[in-house]
Amino acid sequence: MSSLLLNPNRTFSLLSQQVLKASFSSLCSISNARILLGSRPTAHRVVGFKPRASRDSFDAEALPESNTKKKSRNNNKKIILFGSAPPPLSEERGGRAGNANGKPAAEGSSWVFLQRAFKKVLAVLSNLPLAIGEMSTIAALMALGTVIDQGEAPDYYFQKYPEENPVFGFVTWRWVLALGFDHMFTSPVFLGMLILLAASLMACTYTTQIPLVKVARRWSFMHSADAIRKQDFADSLPRASIQDLGIILMGAGYEIFLKGPSLYAFKGMAGRFAPIGVHLAMLLIMAGGTLSAAGSFRGSVTVPQGLNFVVGDVMNPNGFLSFPSQAFDTEVHVNRFYMDYYDSGEVSQFYTDISLYSLDGKELMRKTIRVNDPLRYGGFTIYQTDWGFSALQITKNGEGPFNLAMAPLQLNGDKKLFGTFLPIGDADSPNVKGISMLARDLQSIVLYDQEGKFAGVRRPSSKLPIDIDGTRIFIEDAIGSSGLDLKTDPGVPLVYAGFGALMLTTCISYYSHSQIWALQDGTTVILGGKTNRAKLEFSDEVNQLLDEVPELVTIDKNLNG
Amino acid sequence: MIFTTLEHILTHISFSIISIVITIHLMILLVHEIVGLRDSLEKGMIATFFSITGLLVSRWISSGHFPLSNLYESLIFLSFSFSIIHMISKMGNHKNDLSTITVPSTIFTQGFTTSGFLTEMHQYQSAILVPALQSQWLMMHVSMMLLSYASLLCGSLLSVALLVITFRKNIDIFCKGNNFLIKSFFFGEIQYLNEKRSVFKNTSFLSFQNYYKYQLTQRLDYWSYRVISLGFTLLTMGILCGAVWANEAWGSYWNWDPKETWAFITWTIFAIYLHTRTGIHIRSRTNRSLQSMNSALVASMGFLIIWICYFGINLLGIGLHSYGSFTLTST
Repeated sequence: MSSLLLNPNRTFSLLSQQVLKASFSSLCSISNARILLGSRPTAHRVVGFKPRASRDSFDAEALPESNTKKKSRNNNKKIILFGSAPPPLSEERGGRAGNANGKPAAEGSSWVFLQRAFKKVLAVLSNLPLAIGEMSTIAALMALGTVIDQGEAPDYYFQKYPEENPVFGFVTWRWVLALGFDHMFTSPVFLGMLILLAASLMACTYTTQIPLVKVARRWSFMHSADAIRKQDFADSLPRASIQDLGIILMGAGYEIFLKGPSLYAFKGMAGRFAPIGVHLAMLLIMAGGTLSAAGSFRGSVTVPQGLNFVVGDVMNPNGFLSFPSQAFDTEVHVNRFYMDYYDSGEVSQFYTDISLYSLDGKELMRKTIRVNDPLRYGGFTIYQTDWGFSALQITKNGEGPFNLAMAPLQLNGDKKLFGTFLPIGDADSPNVKGISMLARDLQSIVLYDQEGKFAGVRRPSSKLPIDIDGTRIFIEDAIGSSGLDLKTDPGVPLVYAGFGALMLTTCISYYSHSQIWALQDGTTVILGGKTNRAKLEFSDEVNQLLDEVPELVTIDKNLNG
Repeated sequence: MIFTTLEHILTHISFSIISIVITIHLMILLVHEIVGLRDSLEKGMIATFFSITGLLVSRWISSGHFPLSNLYESLIFLSFSFSIIHMISKMGNHKNDLSTITVPSTIFTQGFTTSGFLTEMHQYQSAILVPALQSQWLMMHVSMMLLSYASLLCGSLLSVALLVITFRKNIDIFCKGNNFLIKSFFFGEIQYLNEKRSVFKNTSFLSFQNYYKYQLTQRLDYWSYRVISLGFTLLTMGILCGAVWANEAWGSYWNWDPKETWAFITWTIFAIYLHTRTGIHIRSRTNRSLQSMNSALVASMGFLIIWICYFGINLLGIGLHSYGSFTLTST
């Protein structure tokens, strides 16, 4: 036992043989021959000097020993792929070159020219400064798109950006209209930049990212101590065994490759792949967005309660890929429209009870939709977006009921105002007089008499009559109309897939790919490592792990005997 | 009523504690290091964290929905996020300078929130959630966005600190500069200096200072990178959640609404930042510091853009996202 330890070289030759058999349990039998002193303090590591083992420490052998054993057994299965060769270095390149050579000679020159041009374009596109420039331009254009009011009539821009008094000295309506900045997000400049960015994304993924991953996957042992010391993080552990280091690294989640005196370990390979995933997900989203723009239908309709419409009649195609589907022959019937209110009188929610009928009158579906809860059927979606006041149902002096159509007087977002007029007396006379009724919502109606003076407020539900100039009016009901948006969007599944992929890959991108090389040099283990993202955490982590590496202590024969 | 009182108390507790924390920071900076005080700083931050959490919870219970429906609540959540980042960076036990950013940030947001400027709004609006906001996505989207704003702000402030330190010819640490912000960046520095001073007593002060400056900028650069990448991940998730929500509520996953557009601009800027960091071929030290300067410039631009995105759009009150606009105070 002790002779084994005293002759390190012999130990290692023996070790490497056994390790090559990939039997880690035999390793444990070797570690039996070792006395562990527990964790090694950091300060002692580099100095490499430790007093010879005394009797006391020898007694302490049993406990940490068995711990190590257990650990190594647990890790037994995961270990070491000695046989597997590293992935070939230039698979792709070789394949491509072979292809080019395989072409007939006559075709050769033009083919080579094309290939060269293609490569040149790729090189230009995958240029990082160009990509950054594209992104900045897109950001700037978007910012401009929020500064310049979008989608107004040309007259608006004539006034806002007059030629006599240009903004910043040169921005006139000619610039704005010629570049299409009045509709920035569909302007050729903006879309062209997006296409360029997409091309850059593809080129960069192909020429930069994939080779980078290949390099990272191509692991190799380092056989010279100098190469290892050149890494971002380097350290040396005197009186340590590389096997112990392997076990500890494995416990920290590293994949370990061990061959003879060399060790290679890595973790977080996913962090290398993820940026490719991010780029691909971006492309997927862009493709989905294009499909949405080209292949969707949109429509919006305001339907008074109790009426119906056919889906196909309100839908307008958005792009050249918009093809109507079978489901457009569905009839939508608004059974009921109502609102919920808070105590303070503000609207809390809009509800529309909708039934779908096929053209032969069969009910296909019924649902009460509200904001945030649309109806989906056969590829189209119906959203609750707006509301209106359709009509007021009243009885006049016991006659009726009449429906008075409400006219929108002010439609400004949430602050709407509707009004109607009930003529009194001779309706044909030139200056007809009557009662005006105004309403901000479906809850309360404000009535004014013939002189325009305030007469009172009535709620449709209250059943309280109001007498104005001898006319008794009952407000029976307030009939609302529901503002619905309809759309079909074939791009959504693609975009959602892209969203999912993007979320996942950006999260994974936070992982850092760490690599560690180590070499047993006599009783010293030389260790070097690098990582691509979490550089400071990496050195902290490795330092901590190194502290756990047990220290080998040689035992004098005298002590043993 | 009880919730209003509770809220009131918690707001004031959190604000007073954090003011004390800042004062202690300043005392340490200007007078000298006292170990006991440093401990009490950490305790103070923990107490602030819990009182802000309590504030949010009580608001949640009293209003019955996740308290993120207007600017006031989102600002409270922002200072909550700052304190979360502070706690996490402390838990990680890494040597970083984040607390020099998070503590002043928390006090500024908390101070701004609780100042009279916004009080009217939070009394008025607390119970009302407009129809479009009544969704489970509210919690996911807005909390993600605010967490990402908080971490991106921290990260870009670290970059700003890097720029400030690099461009100042001499860092005279004990000078009585009147710029409060710049001073706050040096809190961590002092501590570090005191540690190192004993070690480097023999070396000449100038070379020590250069070495120290280099090390500090490296550290700032690194941590701003890490924090910004975290914030970028959160921002991505926030924007995507928002897009999915928009597809439920407004009928399209992307509307080029000003707020959306600016969030996307922010995203693009920080994507540029991350791309400037991929200088894998750069080996030499000068090039590397040049690269870190570049990325720091991008990040400090990002700092402005986050504020435009977060506040500017609300100030203008345009677009579909104008829930928490300032105009509500007058109505």
